[in-house]
Amino acid sequence: MRDYWLSKLFYDLQQPALAAEFKANRDAVISRYPLSAEVRKAIADDDAPFLARRTNAYLLRYYFFTIGMKDAEFARRLRNG
Amino acid sequence: MASFAGAFAASHGPLLVREWQAIPQAERLRLEKAFKELGRRVTAARPDVLVVVSPDHWANFFLDNYPAVCIGVGEANEGPPEPWMKGYPHRELRGHPDFASHLLKESLKLGFEPSQSHRLKLDHGSCIPLWRMELASMPALVPMLVNSIEPPMPSLARCLEWGKLVRKAIGSFPGEQRIGVLATGGLSHSIGEKTMGAIHEDFDRKTIKLFSASERSLVRYLEKELPSRGNGSEEVRNWLVAHGAARGRGFDLVDYLPVPAVIVGCGFASWRA
Repeated sequence: MRDYWLSKLFYDLQQPALAAEFKANRDAVISRYPLSAEVRKAIADDDAPFLARRTNAYLLRYYFFTIGMKDAEFARRLRNG
Repeated sequence: MASFAGAFAASHGPLLVREWQAIPQAERLRLEKAFKELGRRVTAARPDVLVVVSPDHWANFFLDNYPAVCIGVGEANEGPPEPWMKGYPHRELRGHPDFASHLLKESLKLGFEPSQSHRLKLDHGSCIPLWRMELASMPALVPMLVNSIEPPMPSLARCLEWGKLVRKAIGSFPGEQRIGVLATGGLSHSIGEKTMGAIHEDFDRKTIKLFSASERSLVRYLEKELPSRGNGSEEVRNWLVAHGAARGRGFDLVDYLPVPAVIVGCGFASWRA
């Protein structure tokens, strides 16, 4: 399953300017994407397994890298929730 | 007519750049040696043009339109967009529109339907091997982006056929150019999924062995095993393109080492012309 707008957010965050804005004001950036409440909550909670079911695995990794999470922690969350 | 200059393959995991200094020294030295040996072989083959076969890691394409195969036919392509690749010395890489257009036309004539792009961003998939090989001079590059990132993907048999088609196109291209193929990616790795970090050394070694066996046994093994060997392992498609271009002959392993620090089973190989 692909959540188009969640994927689009992650794709767009590859742009350094948007990534910087996201780090400074996450809510402002998220508000531009029509995401469901449960997806917004999963982003807020860094809920990797939930997000993994809705987007491409490589986009997901880029996202967690962008927000500064180390691969080891990202992998741990994918395994354990 | 143009001639085939050989085929080459190398892994391209992002941590080969992002975490280069964190790789244990013995492994880093071995990786460095493998990249340089591959670079030496590429240089010795004297390619005027390299067809670089890589996936697009969301640098060019999105869910709006993700082609199975895209050929870069432009005069030039852009260097890697990833911020952590900013040290890569080439911001623009020369293309070879004449051969790329010939390849595109031959593809369509023979029943293959790639998309085309007149300007691509060549992400880490293409550029890490080109960087780490330390080539003395950069040949013209014809990007061939094969989807191994977003399912469904081209079949393994089709990728092999793509390689044969590239070889045919080289053989029918007027001129004296020497044209090689550089496949990037693989071998086993797992990205952004529950098994992230897993390296399947047994799968990698068997795959490497089968590159010297029949095409049928190689494809059958991969068809059976790939679904359980990590999503990154799907990039072996690019190696199949190289293998097809080499007509399934002359595979020679430069080195293979599983590197947990870069979460990739790193493979390096060439095929004799």
